[in-house]
Amino acid sequence: MKAVGRRKRLTTGVGLPWGTSMMFVLPALALFAVFILYPLLTALGYSFFNWRGTVNDGFSWLDNYVTVFTRLPYKDEIAGAFAHNILLFLGAMVFQNTVGLGLAALLHRIGRLKRFFQTVYTLPYLVSPLVIGYLWSLMLSPLFGPVNALLKAVGLGDLARPWLGDPQTAIWVVVLVTAWQWIGFPILLYGAALGGVPEELNEAASLDGATSWQRFRHITLPLLVPAIGTVSILTFIGAMEAFPIPYALGGSTGSPAGATDVMSLLFYRTAFESGSNNAIGVSSAIATLLFLCIFGVAMLMRWYLDTREKRMY
Amino acid sequence: MKRTHLAAVSIAAASALALSACAPSATDTGDEVTLTLWSWRTEDVEKYNRIFDVYEEANPGVTIEFEAFLNTEYNQLLTTGLSGSDGPDIAMVRSYGGLQAWVSAGQLVPIDDIVDGLDAIEPAVLAGARGHEDGLIYGVPFATQTLQMFYNKGMFDELGLEEPTTWDEFIELNDALLAAGVTPMALGAKDSWMLPIFSDIIGAGRYGAGEFEAAVLSGEKNFTDPDYVASLALVDDMQQYLSPDVVGVGYTDAQIQFTSGLAAQYPGGTFELTTFNTQAPDLELGVYQVPLPPDAVADAPVTPAYADGSFAINSASEHQDEAAKLLNWFTTEEFAQLFADELSMFSPIPGVTYDDPVLEEMWDLYQASPASYLLLVNFRYGEPQGTAVLGEGVQQMFLGELDPAAVADKLQAGIDQWFVPGN
Amino acid sequence: MSRHGRLARAPLASRTATGVLLWTYVVVSLAPLVLMVMNSFRTTSEMASNPLGLPQNPSFSSYVKAWVTADFSSYFFNSMLVTISSVAISTIVSVLAAYAFARSRSKFFLALEGLFLSGLMLPVYLAILPIFFLLDGLGLVSNLGGLILVYSALGIPFSTFVLASFFRQLPLELEEAARIDGAGPFRAFFFVLLPLVRPAIATVIVFRFVPIWNDFFYPLILMRDRDVYTLPVGLTRFFGEFQTDWATLFAGLTLATLPLVVLFLFATKQIVSGLTAGMSK
Repeated sequence: MKAVGRRKRLTTGVGLPWGTSMMFVLPALALFAVFILYPLLTALGYSFFNWRGTVNDGFSWLDNYVTVFTRLPYKDEIAGAFAHNILLFLGAMVFQNTVGLGLAALLHRIGRLKRFFQTVYTLPYLVSPLVIGYLWSLMLSPLFGPVNALLKAVGLGDLARPWLGDPQTAIWVVVLVTAWQWIGFPILLYGAALGGVPEELNEAASLDGATSWQRFRHITLPLLVPAIGTVSILTFIGAMEAFPIPYALGGSTGSPAGATDVMSLLFYRTAFESGSNNAIGVSSAIATLLFLCIFGVAMLMRWYLDTREKRMY
Repeated sequence: MKRTHLAAVSIAAASALALSACAPSATDTGDEVTLTLWSWRTEDVEKYNRIFDVYEEANPGVTIEFEAFLNTEYNQLLTTGLSGSDGPDIAMVRSYGGLQAWVSAGQLVPIDDIVDGLDAIEPAVLAGARGHEDGLIYGVPFATQTLQMFYNKGMFDELGLEEPTTWDEFIELNDALLAAGVTPMALGAKDSWMLPIFSDIIGAGRYGAGEFEAAVLSGEKNFTDPDYVASLALVDDMQQYLSPDVVGVGYTDAQIQFTSGLAAQYPGGTFELTTFNTQAPDLELGVYQVPLPPDAVADAPVTPAYADGSFAINSASEHQDEAAKLLNWFTTEEFAQLFADELSMFSPIPGVTYDDPVLEEMWDLYQASPASYLLLVNFRYGEPQGTAVLGEGVQQMFLGELDPAAVADKLQAGIDQWFVPGN
Repeated sequence: MSRHGRLARAPLASRTATGVLLWTYVVVSLAPLVLMVMNSFRTTSEMASNPLGLPQNPSFSSYVKAWVTADFSSYFFNSMLVTISSVAISTIVSVLAAYAFARSRSKFFLALEGLFLSGLMLPVYLAILPIFFLLDGLGLVSNLGGLILVYSALGIPFSTFVLASFFRQLPLELEEAARIDGAGPFRAFFFVLLPLVRPAIATVIVFRFVPIWNDFFYPLILMRDRDVYTLPVGLTRFFGEFQTDWATLFAGLTLATLPLVVLFLFATKQIVSGLTAGMSK
């Protein structure tokens, strides 16, 4: 899991011979090539053609990419959708690294019931995202939702609002529900990392008069960096690809008025709902752009974390 | 894939030749044939099976396998199904613009010459099954959906209210309901596809229905026309009679709001009837057309309608003759009556009678003053679709982000990208 | 790993605060799931008129209806078959590949590892159409085998990523000792290294199991025959059919959610240690 491992090149001993290595790699390579590489390259290829339904209608250079940025509805929607993906990532990061880290730290302090809490916090992760989305949209429904009913019952009726009907709050519901479903993850990972902090180090530091914040900043945090790094990259990829929860909460149009639209919904609408003849071409162009973005940023994050990790050690 | 397509076309061509050589009724009897039929009506599986039992009995050796898929995922399933090798023999296909991608990919068989009885269908409905570029017919329309106002009769009686016949009565009615503490109209504005439907139920009379449709299609007028903007303003005014946070209310929430007696009226399509009947069998339904508002362009209240979809033949099907024979049955009165009785929907085939009094009333209202569900019928042939733009626009209007004129501008800007008047 | 009783030394106020915070989040975590179970015992009109109410006349009729109409038992079997097989296949091929990546000194395999890793960042579902045509060409549409192959391949980037970094942490001396004893690379791999990476294998299995179990996108497009539906696809159909019959809908959702939760409750210890194995130092 630790990204740092990858950089350790072998310096001693005899490496595995090429032929033997190939035998070990071959089954995975075959599956990967046929079911991932080939379809992806094909989809990439699709984006350079004009389509009539599922019939290829000739090479069209970068026309589909131009369409995405110059024609309605794409040019109006792509920026908002992309921004919402970024919000999803940032929101999840904040939630994980405050609530998640906090809960992990609290759990680290207790002995009894620890496993119970871990289990409960991880339960939402086990439930299908479609079901999660549906349950939350009912929870927050202005007509039948227990959340507003509860707020009114305890005299906080002023706070009741159409959570998913108001563009100001809807995107935050999507962000929080996504983060909520995944929270068990960072809690477990951070918990394990916290468990790895040698107790003696902390005790020695407190004897030297270090405050608890100082101990956290200078002892615990550096040890958490690899875990935070891994979680961040996975969160970024997850946020950019988010589909089922936004779909279940805001529908394929990102209701209300596009306030919960994300890139994969834009892809979905283009590919399957537009009824456009060239749906395959334009949707493949959107997919390719999204891929390039995820790939580029994830690579940058890795590089940044790798260098940073070196400095902190 | 190009090769498979060519193969499909040649199969289609060959079978078309074979068909024109012999009459469609002369099928190879004795062979066991299974026809698969795909549909998006998951809620109607039992009913369709009962209808097809009748056909199977009259045609020994033919088995019809009716497969229903979730409505929202149907298009992608059918698109891949028709281009792959496991597609259906016959598919329910969308109408108007929603049909064109399959047509232009050559995945459906034109049926002008192999199915009888198409000319008996009303042209506006048949247009739903027409290829936009070649003008050929690609399917037998199976249902006409009409749009109108449903209301809870029991609740109206209790409150001493009546169907409105003038705009003033319509407003008074809604005010009275509001005063009685009932939500006047249930609307699922969170699902934006419902909003162009609502707009036409409320405003079609105001902008002038068929007259305006003709003017827009010819290029004489467009959606920024003051009458159309005024119709959107009426829609905006209606917000006071909807749930306070209507943009947060989903489609099914609104249905439940109506069937559980929390709302008195429900602006919707015929397609709601099955849900209302199963969900609240005791609910006594009434229907009416929204009366003409002041300054209305139309002379009488209208019922907007559209063809829901049609049954089409997959050009890659190996059972072209049998499929054509079944499509011929779909244009008969026998099928149409069975369809109307089982599904409580309007058949486009003439000569059908409706047992359900609500259905009958809706049909009469529609016959008296028919109109097109303007954006769905005419403005889904390009990207962005008129219905999608208006749906989002009305949401923004309800949220206070756009005024009616701005919504009309937005709609026109979207349509302008692809629509060429006078075509 | 955990320090038991550490809190016992902390002052009472701090202990109470910790407890309150932890239990509060338990409520946040469980509320929607509790709502789901409660609503499966209430009628639609009860739910509509009183969002906060408790079940009035609880009965299991909604469960019976859901179970009978939804055919969950066969969907459940398909889901099990698909999830277990594809997790098994992708883990086996990934362990083999990861070992080679960790121990080969060739640039070629370094590049290959990079390629696999990039698979982790690909929104592969965006390539659904080519995947469909591919399976169609192989005659594997509406075939559980086809779905298993797709999922197996999708698991490879993540699994090799985790396993290769784990292999790299194992000292080379182990294999050298084995080779001096006369063992070839295969024997060394199976008898010396494989037992040592068990925790990482557990991590991989846990990480892959849940997403595959819950995925509805691939089977929705690739499985058209009711006989080969997996649980999530069955669920989407169920949504369509019962969207206004809430009791049945919620009973169905509960039934569909239950297996994984039960599995998790029984195996929490293994899963938690599996999840965290790769992280601890």
